[in-house]
Amino acid sequence: MHELSIVESLIEQVQHEINRSGHEGRVVRLDITIGRLSGVNADSIRFAFELLSPDTLLADADLRITQPKAVCHCKACEARTEIDELVAACPACGSGRITMEGGQDLLLESIELED
Amino acid sequence: MKIIAAKKILKANEELAGKNRARFNQAGILTINMVGSPGCGKTTFLEALVARLAGRAAPAVIEGDLASTIDAQRIEKLGVPVVQINTEGACHLDASMVAAACDSLELDGVDLLVIENVGNLVCTAGFDLGEHLRIVLLSTSEGDDKVAKYPTIFQKSDALLVTKIDLLSHGDFDVDRVAADMKRLAPNGRIFHLSARTGEGVQQVADWLLGKSRRREGGLAG
Repeated sequence: MHELSIVESLIEQVQHEINRSGHEGRVVRLDITIGRLSGVNADSIRFAFELLSPDTLLADADLRITQPKAVCHCKACEARTEIDELVAACPACGSGRITMEGGQDLLLESIELED
Repeated sequence: MKIIAAKKILKANEELAGKNRARFNQAGILTINMVGSPGCGKTTFLEALVARLAGRAAPAVIEGDLASTIDAQRIEKLGVPVVQINTEGACHLDASMVAAACDSLELDGVDLLVIENVGNLVCTAGFDLGEHLRIVLLSTSEGDDKVAKYPTIFQKSDALLVTKIDLLSHGDFDVDRVAADMKRLAPNGRIFHLSARTGEGVQQVADWLLGKSRRREGGLAG
């Protein structure tokens, strides 16, 4: 369950960003990106967030997760196919001569504070 | 009020990992992050590796486990500098734990630092420790479907060590399937077959690591 330590880092980072901005207040919305191939599970992130956020500035914040897909590039048929997970073969032709790009990001995108 | 951050969530870990790597580079140390399931033979391989490095390179070891000093004691018997990290429940090492471990390790004269991560094929994948190479171990008793089932860690590794190869004739582990899955995920990844118990194949890994280590000293490796 490495999602727990990822959410710990996220909460620390949000607090750091808020301090740096010179603003203060409760977080109402948080936007993050979790790439489909990052090895991080979005449901586990939500669960960890529910566990860890209550005593912080992020209590009750609306956590929005974007999950960009990756692209499988096939050297056999040249197809470029969007994929949700690591694949063993090209979804178009079944060849194993593939490379996968993208979908690895784990990003804190933006923080919305209470007015 | 909206703050646009657009930063990596694990930025703090990555910055610390970068500092660890700079420290290793300055000291001329090749650092390896060794991962694999509990029981795949990480510590036993390490014991066999240390024996084959004798007189050729000076190793040091950081052991990561949830609890106990069992592994560190095994390594200490070989006369190798070792520090045990107990994560007290955490399923992976992170860069700050490694930085703290390095502070209590005598690194002068060390060429090769092996960090044995917590036994785990999932959580260890996301955390850069500041290593130069990540090697993943998979034993023949675990089954040949593991590369396909836990792809992230294999995709992010520089070499796959198939361990307990002496047990091959007792099961139906398909080395070709594993090699094909690894090739798809990590086209440039090296694959070694070994048995730490019989010694088969360990020398090849030692030679590969020494080659990387020497190239570092020559300033060629990144």
